[in-house]
Amino acid sequence: MPDTQALVNDFLNKLKKRKIEGSQATAKQTAELLRSVISQTRVPYTNQAAALIQSVKAVGERLIAANPVELAVGNVVRRVLHIIREEDLSLTAAAMAGVNLSAVSDDEDDADGDNQPVLSAAAIAAASRSTLRPPSLQTLLEDVPDFAAVPHTSSSGGDSEGKSKSADKSSRSRKLKHDVIEAVNELIQDISTCHEQIAEQAVEHIHQNEVILTLGSSRTVLEFLCAAKEKKRSFRVFVAEGAPRYQGHLLAKELVMRGLPTTLITDSAVFAMISRVNMVIVGAHAVMANGGVIAPVGLNMVALAAQKHAVPFVVLAGIHKLCPLYPHHPEVLLNELRSPSELLDFGEFSDCLDFGSGIGAPLLHVVNPTFDYVPPKLVSLFITDTGGHNPSYMYRLIADYYSADDLVLQRRATSGN
Amino acid sequence: MWWRSASFILDRQQEQNAAVPPNPESLLLSSPPPSMADSLQNPKPDISAYYQTRAAHHAVVTSDWLAQAHAAVSIQTDDDDSSVIDGKIAPAAGGRGGDKAFSVIDEFNSWRKQPDLAEAVAAIRALAAVIKASQATTMMELEIELKKASDSLKAWDTTSISLTAGCDLFIRYVTRTSALEYEDFNSARSRLIERAEKFGEISCKARRIIAMLCQDFIFDGCTILVHGFSRVVLEVLRTAAQNKKHFRVFCTEGRPDRTGLRLSNELAKLDVPVKLLIDSAVAYTMDEVDMVLVGADAIVESGGIINMMGTYQIALVSHSMNKPVYVAAESYKFARLYPLDQKDVGPALRTIDFGVPIPSKVEVEKSARDYTPPLYLTLLFTDLGVLTPSVVSDELIQLYL
Repeated sequence: MPDTQALVNDFLNKLKKRKIEGSQATAKQTAELLRSVISQTRVPYTNQAAALIQSVKAVGERLIAANPVELAVGNVVRRVLHIIREEDLSLTAAAMAGVNLSAVSDDEDDADGDNQPVLSAAAIAAASRSTLRPPSLQTLLEDVPDFAAVPHTSSSGGDSEGKSKSADKSSRSRKLKHDVIEAVNELIQDISTCHEQIAEQAVEHIHQNEVILTLGSSRTVLEFLCAAKEKKRSFRVFVAEGAPRYQGHLLAKELVMRGLPTTLITDSAVFAMISRVNMVIVGAHAVMANGGVIAPVGLNMVALAAQKHAVPFVVLAGIHKLCPLYPHHPEVLLNELRSPSELLDFGEFSDCLDFGSGIGAPLLHVVNPTFDYVPPKLVSLFITDTGGHNPSYMYRLIADYYSADDLVLQRRATSGN
Repeated sequence: MWWRSASFILDRQQEQNAAVPPNPESLLLSSPPPSMADSLQNPKPDISAYYQTRAAHHAVVTSDWLAQAHAAVSIQTDDDDSSVIDGKIAPAAGGRGGDKAFSVIDEFNSWRKQPDLAEAVAAIRALAAVIKASQATTMMELEIELKKASDSLKAWDTTSISLTAGCDLFIRYVTRTSALEYEDFNSARSRLIERAEKFGEISCKARRIIAMLCQDFIFDGCTILVHGFSRVVLEVLRTAAQNKKHFRVFCTEGRPDRTGLRLSNELAKLDVPVKLLIDSAVAYTMDEVDMVLVGADAIVESGGIINMMGTYQIALVSHSMNKPVYVAAESYKFARLYPLDQKDVGPALRTIDFGVPIPSKVEVEKSARDYTPPLYLTLLFTDLGVLTPSVVSDELIQLYL
């Protein structure tokens, strides 16, 4: 498949050069790329799901390695893998409902062994579902296949049945691919409409005559505020400028164009102004599994100020920003350091940055990190496209959207060195 | 300040070369061995059997233990005194439950002797033995018998939460799954026995999973404070050491059964730099510590843990110094309890040897465990994954709804 290869390489280049701005665009393009990878993958008669997972994983690992800081890529790859597993499962279950029991050897075949008595259809379905679900107390005593073996057992679903006709099989394989692509399309749709979904909830959170504070610029926040404005709420917005990129200026301009009373403040004035604020609403780069937030730099400070004055700190995050990793994960500890030219004018400081002087390194160093980590205890509420959630509830969403086998996606890559 | 770098290992080597330090083994030997054998010889009925076993398995007891640290020498001393315990308990249990109740407790005790076997596993194996011995011909009969057996087990040692949790988990498994899955009673029975017998493996596998999950959180150059002896924690540290992570460990002493000494001993064997603290030095050293890692006797519904005495104060200290507190525990330790405060958990008493006679008018706090509220815990590493404390209640509700 030379054309997908070209697409992948093109996207890899873009990721490496940081050409794609914003996690929504990244997520969407990743999903689109994976869709074309799936449609190009030639599926064998047996093990269709495994083949798909294999090819998606192979591409996904490279994408993640290209820009490990952009967590949205990994999230979408895991989502797509989860979709494949889910579709495979529902197909297997559907096939099982049609065929009579003894003719079908089920998912758990290799785990259960031959000496097992014939299980009822419901039990098979439950058992196969349990391979997809994250492990729980319920399944602790049940015959859960080995942790590492799960991908194989769950993906080999139905392929060992030698009795059904090959025509049936090929139609099934086409059906699986079709279903997966359909589901990925839905995912792309979800990613592109997540702003509207979140903005719909704006009126429930923003009330008359309130003062809202935000930092920097986020499209989700912009849409959220505008949605409240459209519903005839009148409120004031404080915008912290978000040094060093000053995207807050753009947001302020945009808000004024939409007719919202806006006040621009410097980042360092946040604490001075926070006592007048009713709510802090910000966007996020990624939401971690423990409810912590990787956010634009400066937000930890805002969150601490908000906590001091008991101001609710609300984070808006589309579903593609949910990351199943924990902040101690090395990928997450990676912060992106941007160009120092955003901080200071090179012409003026060129003397201080002279590499030729003395010890060979300049005396002046400029560090320009992009992200902050806001711990879960500083966040009051997450608003995602599915509604408002407590930080401690994020794990639940993550358990719904990702399967446990895919979390280790790039651990293999890191341990490979 | 060296605690963010791996250089402390080099420093330590230099130090060792400069002045040959006293052999740690000899240090241990010189400390007077606590009279564990004495305390076991005359067991009082109000002393927690669970903590007695723990002490027998995990504490540094005698010099011959040091001589053959790998071998489970405690079995021999255990055998002598356990007959005393059985002799004491058996009439009480036998009076109520008759022949069968006696056998289940016997069975449980024999499983419990194995130092590597968790209490919940022993309980489940004992219940499997009940199924094996049972004359029941219907599922209902079997369930009633199991219920009786588990009740008598629970009554035998009310202080052991993991015994209760193990019994509950197995009973739940029996009632929930088998009746639905099988038409045939005999196959259901054999399946139950098979699953119960595999449970020992499950528990070992759980430890490995936890170790794999947890070692990602151990970064090079970090300092870990551990409290007491926990097999899971040891497994975690062992895995991390095998994966060439550079870290050092602070072990609390773990008075009165000195479980920390045992852990430091094991870690020294793994060539992990380890420092022993007295229990009261935790706050003093906390600024050097990067994370606290403890095991748990039980994880309760609130997401808090019940663990060896002293865990609560360590959690308080680390919370006030903003250090993460991680708990490593297998998921079968999830218990359906909701303690509201410390005294809400029934006290598990044990003997405490002060070395000198205590005047009879002086009261001694003998409780062996305390309750750490979820507020002070950062994350729980279980075989179900890395969980925040609030997930625990969710899991329990799903199972016992």
